[in-house]
Amino acid sequence: MKAQLAAPLAAAAALLALPFGLSDFWVFISIEVLAFALYAVSFNLLLGYGGMLSFGHAAFLGVGGYTAGLVVKQSGLPPALTLVCLPVAAMLVSAAAALVIGFFSVRRAGIYFAMLTFAFQMLLYAVALKATALTGGDDGLTGLKPPGFLAQPRAYYYFALALTAASLYVLHHIVSSPFGYTLRALRANALRVQYLGIDVRAHRLAAFVVSGAFAGLAGAIFALVNGNVFPGWLDWTASATPIVMAVLGGTASFLGPAVGAAVYVVLEVLISGRTEYWPLAMGIIIVILVLLMPEGLTGLWKSAAVRFGARAAPLPSQEAR
Amino acid sequence: MGSSTVKRVSGILDRVLELIAQHFAWAQNPVVLARQTLAGISNGMLLFLISAGLSLIFGVLRILNFAHGAFFMFGALIAVSVAALFANPLAGFAAALIGGAAGLALLGAAIETNLLRRIYRAPHEMQLLLTFGLVFIMGDAAKLIWGREEHSVGMPAILTGSAHAFGVVFPLYRLFLIAAGATLAAGLWVALYRTRWGIFIRAATMDREMLSALGVNTRLLFTAVFALGAALAGLGGALAAPIVAVGPGLHVQVIIDAFVVVVIGGLGSVLGAFVASLLIGLVNAFGVLAFPSAAVVLTFACMAIVLIIRPRGLLGTAE
Repeated sequence: MKAQLAAPLAAAAALLALPFGLSDFWVFISIEVLAFALYAVSFNLLLGYGGMLSFGHAAFLGVGGYTAGLVVKQSGLPPALTLVCLPVAAMLVSAAAALVIGFFSVRRAGIYFAMLTFAFQMLLYAVALKATALTGGDDGLTGLKPPGFLAQPRAYYYFALALTAASLYVLHHIVSSPFGYTLRALRANALRVQYLGIDVRAHRLAAFVVSGAFAGLAGAIFALVNGNVFPGWLDWTASATPIVMAVLGGTASFLGPAVGAAVYVVLEVLISGRTEYWPLAMGIIIVILVLLMPEGLTGLWKSAAVRFGARAAPLPSQEAR
Repeated sequence: MGSSTVKRVSGILDRVLELIAQHFAWAQNPVVLARQTLAGISNGMLLFLISAGLSLIFGVLRILNFAHGAFFMFGALIAVSVAALFANPLAGFAAALIGGAAGLALLGAAIETNLLRRIYRAPHEMQLLLTFGLVFIMGDAAKLIWGREEHSVGMPAILTGSAHAFGVVFPLYRLFLIAAGATLAAGLWVALYRTRWGIFIRAATMDREMLSALGVNTRLLFTAVFALGAALAGLGGALAAPIVAVGPGLHVQVIIDAFVVVVIGGLGSVLGAFVASLLIGLVNAFGVLAFPSAAVVLTFACMAIVLIIRPRGLLGTAE
């Protein structure tokens, strides 16, 4: 029992102490990591647990980001109230968007589901580009700052940490619930689940809405640390980001995508600081990932643990999908 | 009470009709109609060259190739380099077309045998990621090889200038594009429906295992189809080179339009790609007139509607 608690406690202590050892720049990057960790884990609720390849998940990051931007810029609420409204509004609006998109998309599976979600993301991209009065068009919403005392980077870090930790706790609760196990069963064999009398479409839609809501929250957290939201968030190249993060970390474990997000964000900072050819580097990383390490970093870690004789859990089978 | 409701409804109707009249005033002008129709068809033909390959590849290999727009861009860039080697513009133009198609056929074959072949059994997300990785690599490779500036290819003298008929002035090169696209579509039809390999390709879109069990070399077939699809995109790029700004970033809009086309036409159906290419070409040409600021929204709305009502596309086979 003690050994089981040691690792999470150490991780929590490290995350709480982190901002004191870092410059302002890296505090900002840490906040970005938190936002994208939440984004990737929410995405993996669909891919890793439900076996649903959403190719339009950036839609919800974008909807959450734009909602946060509008709340900060337009609502005129006092800072304390904004603080509360911000996450709630981002989650509600992106959940609503997910309900509409999901309603049409979850009827299809496999590559057709991917294309439907992608089509809706592109539709929202076009809207973000053209609804200038609301979204600022091409320029997006700029000059966003966290409200009140949160403008201090370290204060905003703890705010983001609290939101991310609470969200991951809820998401973990969801995947360990009977609902979570039904999702896994859906990934393994949807037809059989249907024969058991379970409403497949309703379960998929529920997962889609939950996933979209938390992706929206991630978008809100990221929007305020980034300082702006623009249509590029919803562009087609953004569709690959959550997939790369989830696969890089490993879709077979709950926190794998969070690890993948952290590695991805830090790599992007390090590489794009040295060369303008970050896309080239990312392309090469993707090819290596797909061809040589499809189980991701957590998969590598587990197989290394098995090889070197540690008492690790057996490698989760990828065959089910 | 009743008459005021009637009045209000007729007021709303008047307003709607007024709006329609505003947005569609161009529809009464036959010259504009003819010009936009020709522009839509010629753009549709270019779209067809990309989307035909994209659709074929999905039909046979079951891979949605996001790098197809990059293939188009490489075709255009190779055309720029090849055309520069010739003093005679006509010879340069012909060589550029051949170079664009042949170069991409080789590149396609290399990509299929070295990369794609390893992931046919992998889950969808791995296949999507791999072609996405190729998009990023090829996008930056284009900048490294050809630089960041935009290039252009001169068109041969016999294709410059305009045609005049019934008061409509239309660039000759666009008429040439329509003719070239129609010829290629016909050639593709003959290849698919009148040759042995065409039968293999169509059979592979229906049942790959059965085809393989019948003794057809499906490994070679996959390579050939991918190379053919890439060559069509390369040829499309070379044909488009004289009328577009050839530079990095060309692939971005192209792949999205092609993607919309294959989804609407039905993944795997070349005929569907043809019909949908013309449709999207025309929707773009007239959408710009009716809703100048929202033409992009129209194409995506078309795609979403088709996907919702008929997910397999207009002419696609069932999932």
